[in-house]
Amino acid sequence: MELWEKSETVDPEVRAYVYSLVNVVGGSSAYDDTYSIGDDALAALNDILRWLRLYDEKLNRYDVKRCLAEANLVQGDLLEILALWPETATDNKLRGKLALACIQLLVPLTWPLDLEDEKATVNHHRHLPYLQLAQVGYKRAVLHYEHAAILRTAVRVALPSMTQPRRERSKRDEGIIKLVMYLFRNVAMITQPQMLPSQGDENEISRSSTIDVFHEQDVLNLLLTIGSGASDDFQDEDVVLLEILFHLLKGIDPKKLFMHDEQVQHHEADELRMLMQKERDMHKSYRKHAPSRHNRFGTMLWVKRGDEKLSTVTGQTSITNGDATLQIMDASKKWNKPKHHGKHAGLEELRQADFCQRIDLTETARKHLRSFVEDFLDSGFNPLFSGLRKAIASEADRISPTHQRHYFYLISWFLAAERARRTATTFTPPPTSAGEESTYAYIAAVLDDHTFALISRSMQRYLDEKSWLDLHTTLLAFTSILLTVHDMSESPDEEDQEIAENIQNRIFYHEATHDRIVQILRSYNNQGLPYLDAVTECVHVFVRMLERYSKQNAELQIQSKRRARKKARKAGVMPNEDDQEADNEDAREAQLTATERRFDFARFSSKLLTQPCLNTFLALLQYHADLTPEQLKRCHRYLYRLAFKHDLAILLFRVDILLLLHKLVKGPGGLSTESPAFQDWDTLVRQVFRRCVRWMEKETEGEGWKEMCVVEMLFSKIPASVYYLQNGIERTVERR
Amino acid sequence: PQIKDVDEEIKVRKKRAPNPKLDDNLLLSSNGLPRLRRIAKSKLKFRGKGHECSDIGRLLNTYQLWLDDLYPKAKFKDALAMVEKLGHSKRMQVTRKAWIDATKPNRRDDSP
Repeated sequence: MELWEKSETVDPEVRAYVYSLVNVVGGSSAYDDTYSIGDDALAALNDILRWLRLYDEKLNRYDVKRCLAEANLVQGDLLEILALWPETATDNKLRGKLALACIQLLVPLTWPLDLEDEKATVNHHRHLPYLQLAQVGYKRAVLHYEHAAILRTAVRVALPSMTQPRRERSKRDEGIIKLVMYLFRNVAMITQPQMLPSQGDENEISRSSTIDVFHEQDVLNLLLTIGSGASDDFQDEDVVLLEILFHLLKGIDPKKLFMHDEQVQHHEADELRMLMQKERDMHKSYRKHAPSRHNRFGTMLWVKRGDEKLSTVTGQTSITNGDATLQIMDASKKWNKPKHHGKHAGLEELRQADFCQRIDLTETARKHLRSFVEDFLDSGFNPLFSGLRKAIASEADRISPTHQRHYFYLISWFLAAERARRTATTFTPPPTSAGEESTYAYIAAVLDDHTFALISRSMQRYLDEKSWLDLHTTLLAFTSILLTVHDMSESPDEEDQEIAENIQNRIFYHEATHDRIVQILRSYNNQGLPYLDAVTECVHVFVRMLERYSKQNAELQIQSKRRARKKARKAGVMPNEDDQEADNEDAREAQLTATERRFDFARFSSKLLTQPCLNTFLALLQYHADLTPEQLKRCHRYLYRLAFKHDLAILLFRVDILLLLHKLVKGPGGLSTESPAFQDWDTLVRQVFRRCVRWMEKETEGEGWKEMCVVEMLFSKIPASVYYLQNGIERTVERR
Repeated sequence: PQIKDVDEEIKVRKKRAPNPKLDDNLLLSSNGLPRLRRIAKSKLKFRGKGHECSDIGRLLNTYQLWLDDLYPKAKFKDALAMVEKLGHSKRMQVTRKAWIDATKPNRRDDSP
């Protein structure tokens, strides 16, 4: 069946009814381009809405929607009617009513369609592709309607209701505001479905053009208004706003958003250079082993192995290069180890998590979005996010699991944006009226105890429920908070330092958090690269922060104590006493806490350096061809810490790990020798190899050390025997 | 179902020979770990300092050839993963422990 053909499967009577209603709404003139509204248009529109509700929704079908899409209601009628409500005629009651009726229809028509496994029927599967494409058409028409600004008209519909204070608003007013917000959300959300044929208009409905239109038609301003009133006037709209923000911002790199134009160009040029370099390296490593003669040259080779055995290999590369011979032997094997599928339901969903997809913006869209994000951070962020936090904590009805996911994702996104704003521009916070407020006050709503508790709780729950996608977003949020706290601790403002120190204190002494982090790292099992990246980044940042904190010299603590005393004295709580003596006291105490912290950190760090944790980092390293320098660095730091700082190189002496390391440095398809990270890796790998050889050749008193090593290298080590394997002697347990 | 001619000769289908499995029996057979130990004792030599990469490369090749003899079907990486998994079984753990203990100098004294 042709895709755009009329569906034969809708009941003809239903189709006839719907079509006749659409005809009643109005029509375009035959000799000029004017549109005239039908006499009973309002009633007809309401009837169509009733059809949608009483037929489609009640019977759980998509029939009416399909008919409406075929009858071209949106482009042919609704948008025309909306365009006929000019800005000068705001007080035209009938036109206002008609506009509202149009929007009431637009919202269900653009509502996201999804197939829930239990509820989906054959009918849904039949109509879905057609409707998805139709929605793309709706979005394009709404955004780029030539005669009028449709979205601005929608804003105007909501304005009278919005101007009323919240207490005096009727149910209907609330409904109208939400309706308009949902329209924006739907428009922001619709994208070209991947599996369906495209109409060649991706640019017209892309994120950039959505942002541009949102800016031109004042939708962004409306969002700012709602955001800044999220704590009082617009409490109930917060989740819709959250969704709109999520669909506008997901996948956009906050760092890039705050770069200057030249910087962006520079960045993109760098990226291109890097990609070209990568391609060159790929070709180079291929050419190294490529045949130097034509493909029917027909070289054949015997490989003599022990026990009078011979293997044959073909191809010229194998003549000179022994390693290549073995690789060809291996590659020619047909059988593959069967992989487990279906054990992780929802894995597919995770792979295509929509916020992992990278989105690039055009220059204008970037400019508009940047000014929006800046304004939002300054005015709307705190009210919105503190309100949402309360709603989530009290399990309000309007919060669904997806909202929580959006909430955590947006925390990480906005914190990253704030950091980018601080570093990219020479940002000076406008002087606050109170004067005492911290410069981090704009994002304070997510740095308090409650949010921290919420994140911890959610993390634990998602981990227990194994809902990886949700865990992923909480990890992102947690990492972002850690990074922000780190920046805060280096702020010149004493106030900020103190807050940061308090937060760090809390994290440092909270053993449950440490254990959870370790547990999450251990429990990685094939959830895909984006998740793996989030987990390892979180661990990396967490460890670095704790390390720095535990190393914080006594001097700093004395300073902070002195500061606290000065403050207390100012407040008149503490009597004046001899400063010298107090300082001495402080120094002693600081010394004590410093050693205590060092000990605590060592304990935590050793929890991280176990075989399962190592396996997770190795899983990341398996992707080395796709990793960024930063991610490679992360792996490098971890391996370095494991092998040399904590002397656990024994965990690396496993054949598959050695194979991977060998490939990184030597093998075909390894790291590029020209990449900056190569030197580091080369040194590390050589050191590990040296230790491995030395370990195997260790002189021991007993028999068969080398044989034992060769066998042990095939397996993960048994924890009880690690110490002996490493040192060649039993751990001496002191007895009293 | 129809009853067929009773006198018809019953055809016996020859059963397919089962595929050899890479399990702890195979791994502990004379071609498995014991052979690897023999190879390590007699043939595995290192050139030492300055030749780390080539030493480890040859070590890896040794493993590859050994696994190819033991279980020719699987690729090197796959075979390694399978063998590693076998190491978690009780039997393998006991065997490994015994080999580790064998290297200790005076084990008589440890277990009186």
